[in-house]
Amino acid sequence: MTDATILPGPGRRPGQFIGTWEAGLIGLMIALYAIGALINPAFFGTADAFHSLLRDTARFSVMAVGMTFVIVNKDLDLSVGSIYGLVGVTFAIAFDPSRGDTGLFEALAISIAVGLSLGLINGILVTLLQVPAFIATLTMLLIGRGAILGLTGGKSLYFPDKAANFPGFFQLGEINTWGFNNQIPIALVIVAIGAIVLATTRWGYETFATGGNEQAAIYAGIPTRWVRVRAYLLSALCSTIAGLMAVAQDKGATPQSGMSVELIVIASVIIGGASILGGRGRIIGSFVGSLLVGLINKVLREGLPITRTVMVNGEKTDVKAVFSLPAGAVPTLIGVLLIAAVLIEPFIIRRKLIQRAWAKIRGLPPPPPPDLGGVAIEGVQTKGAMATDRALAARGVARLFVRRDTLAILLAIVLWFVGFGLRPDYWGGLPNTFAVLLNYTELALISVGLTYVIATGDIDLSVGSVLALAGSAAAFSLKALGMSPIEAMGMGLAAGLIAGVLNGILTVGFGLPAFIATLGMYYVARGVAAWITAGQQLTGFNEGYNLIGRKVGDVIAYFHLPPITGWLGAWADVVSVQTVWLLLVSVIAGVVLGYTTIGQRIFATGGNRRAADYAGINTNRVRFMALLFCALCATMAGLINIAYFRSFNPTAGQFRELDGIAAVIIGGASIFGGFGTVIGALAGAAVITLLRALLQLNVQGYTMPQQWVNSLIGAILIIAVLADIWVRQHAIISRLWDRIRPRRREAKNG
Amino acid sequence: MDNLIEMRGIQKSFGAVRALSDVNLTLRPGEILGLVGDNSAGKSTLMKIMTGAYHRDGGDVIVDGQPTNFRSPHESRDLGIEMIYQDFALCGNMDVGQNIFLGRWPRRGPFIDRKRMYAEANDVLQRLKVNVNSVYQRVESLSGGRQQSVAIARAISFNPKVVILDEPTANLSVTATDRLLETMSELKAQGVAQIIISHRLVDIFEVGDRVMVLKRGENVGDRYIKSTTETEILELMIAGTHETALTADQALARSSAPA
Repeated sequence: MTDATILPGPGRRPGQFIGTWEAGLIGLMIALYAIGALINPAFFGTADAFHSLLRDTARFSVMAVGMTFVIVNKDLDLSVGSIYGLVGVTFAIAFDPSRGDTGLFEALAISIAVGLSLGLINGILVTLLQVPAFIATLTMLLIGRGAILGLTGGKSLYFPDKAANFPGFFQLGEINTWGFNNQIPIALVIVAIGAIVLATTRWGYETFATGGNEQAAIYAGIPTRWVRVRAYLLSALCSTIAGLMAVAQDKGATPQSGMSVELIVIASVIIGGASILGGRGRIIGSFVGSLLVGLINKVLREGLPITRTVMVNGEKTDVKAVFSLPAGAVPTLIGVLLIAAVLIEPFIIRRKLIQRAWAKIRGLPPPPPPDLGGVAIEGVQTKGAMATDRALAARGVARLFVRRDTLAILLAIVLWFVGFGLRPDYWGGLPNTFAVLLNYTELALISVGLTYVIATGDIDLSVGSVLALAGSAAAFSLKALGMSPIEAMGMGLAAGLIAGVLNGILTVGFGLPAFIATLGMYYVARGVAAWITAGQQLTGFNEGYNLIGRKVGDVIAYFHLPPITGWLGAWADVVSVQTVWLLLVSVIAGVVLGYTTIGQRIFATGGNRRAADYAGINTNRVRFMALLFCALCATMAGLINIAYFRSFNPTAGQFRELDGIAAVIIGGASIFGGFGTVIGALAGAAVITLLRALLQLNVQGYTMPQQWVNSLIGAILIIAVLADIWVRQHAIISRLWDRIRPRRREAKNG
Repeated sequence: MDNLIEMRGIQKSFGAVRALSDVNLTLRPGEILGLVGDNSAGKSTLMKIMTGAYHRDGGDVIVDGQPTNFRSPHESRDLGIEMIYQDFALCGNMDVGQNIFLGRWPRRGPFIDRKRMYAEANDVLQRLKVNVNSVYQRVESLSGGRQQSVAIARAISFNPKVVILDEPTANLSVTATDRLLETMSELKAQGVAQIIISHRLVDIFEVGDRVMVLKRGENVGDRYIKSTTETEILELMIAGTHETALTADQALARSSAPA
């Protein structure tokens, strides 16, 4: 091969900061801006407009810098919006004259400490404790939002008078003597520092190596755990800075601040060219991406000046009006954008579609398709093997306890007795029991569906949103379109199943990680739900529809059937249709999962997908069906939800993904797939429902502040996941036990 | 000739399973040693003990006449022993130069010294005479054989005395295998000793100097390539015993002695 040995000397080095992708983005942005200026010159045509775009996106740009480090590391940080909000709220509470009334320095120190410690917790959870990044940071997102509500009591805090005494800090959010907002140079400096660090220093190179192939990085002696923790710290630092910029500008904080900001930031970074699969991304790209998302956000919210022709007293009159998109449209479109951007990298860039198309246009031979899958094969191993070994070895009573769902059942029983002990007068009574049971049905239905998805090794973060989507579609069909109950249910089912099919196509068809596909759906489905109902409550349905949320006795009365007498009749008056329905669904789902080949295929897929593929199992179909079934369960829960409340509320199903995942994990499933039982899921759902009921109990005049409940459930989810990983998979308790009592181990071996 | 590496009486058990019992290995400077044996013969275990990835239960590892006790592969690297892993251990998203210097990128002040990094990477590739279009190419866009070359270049850049290749030809096409064997000869010409673990005797017979056979964790044979045949090695792999485990010199003396 001597002919092939001529190496070009190390000629021109490739650019580090900017590539064709960024150039294309800038071009696109100029085009968008020009269109905006044409449509709405009053808004876009001025220097003010450009200034306000830069000012409003400055905070997102800062957060995108930290997020780029995290995403290049092949991690994800969903908690940035909550850190941003919590930092602002912490500062406000410390600084506000009516609350902490501390000095500026103390308030800054406290809020920076809060922000950085959240980042540190993220990093430790993800690296040392091996919790999947999306689940750890999603929980942090929800805990953070709960904490914001709990700390502020839902009220905004403003302190313009006191802020006037500290111009040095609060000037940072103001327009300076050169006529532009100080947040813009802050953002530019942070972007520049971030770009240099990521592209040209050892920290950046280590980040790329860790995200590209963590095993190789470890072999090369790179401390990958610290690299990942560092990225989470940087992300939290950037969110903290952004949160403080917001405080400086607003002279206060609201509990809504930072809501859904993680969506904007992640979308910015991905649109900026970073790969959700890790190892790729540039800060300049993320910065341009954040400008683009900011621009789109602004365009969508700004509205279009239109002239409406209305008839007044028989005369046509032109009326100036503004057409703006309804409430849910913006998150919907940004969610769609996020998913589209995620798909660009693997399907257009990696397959060189543009170069190939360009070559075709010029009539040249296309460049060869890249060698796919040449790089290091990831080690594949069946998960949870150790726990299974112990399960097989156990005897007698121990056999009951190694069953992964026993704990949940015991916990549910214990919790019920705790409730009974606290309020013996109320807890065991029928009203409470059935109130609990009703809440239980919704969560249990979702948990049954999630069990299938989690057992195949995927995740569905969109269940709560799909619930709302199905409910809104049915409510809209009933009220606005005047459909019959059956037709409306059909519409709701159709809407929910479309969401499920999309989840399936994105996850299985396009090969996206399930968490990112369903995260997109999380925003899109809820956005669409708010969009079609225009953010309003819909009430007053046909009572025929509401029957699916009523008691069996009510149904019998509605159809004028002869009432059932005797003890059966007494049951019919207390048992709801939805409870019967849940029973039916869970028996079928339980039998299918536990006793049929379908269930075996699901466990095989979740345990070791490659092995299942080799064994001839169509794992794509298995995963697709599981995601679809999960969406179906969420849809049923949504249809029942609006029937039970006789109205649709846009917040329906909020936090249900948190409850559902916690229930399934408590019920014995593994977050890594391959395990799960319907009985466990039902028991886990019971644990969560009873816990929520307990937290609402009024014990001797004291009730827990309800804003904190979601934070607590989030903490329980993290504990459940940690217990799954460390107690079940790594068996730390029995290992510790063996270490304490070495004689026992030897006796067993001998 | 002095031995570069000498392993004597190596013992290793995993729980109740005896992986290696009383295994000896010698490696001379600039020699290519083929290490063959059935699955579970203990080839990879022996190599991992040599690099310090595993800890031996008994026996001695002598490198350059000094007894050693490596606790991790980083320590053996310091003494010039490099192992190339079966899955190459490269970052596909980074370019050839960055991969060759993975984890020890040269720096100038706080920044990576890219000029030096790419120049040195280019030198290493020239030295190996491998065909990689450019040091700026991303590793994932290279074929399996060229990725293998990058992995070897990475190992070479440490200026090792010994390179261990674990099943290097397992995932390669015929031409890529030929290219790899040329690279190995090139390395040998530069005085780097190599140990190649392989199932493919053809490859070992093409470039090797000596072949060592393991069977169920025991030495069952050690032969010079020049004075043995593939058939003999196959017989040793299947039916070798302790008695056939002569050193290569003993075997040579016996076969050349008049029968």
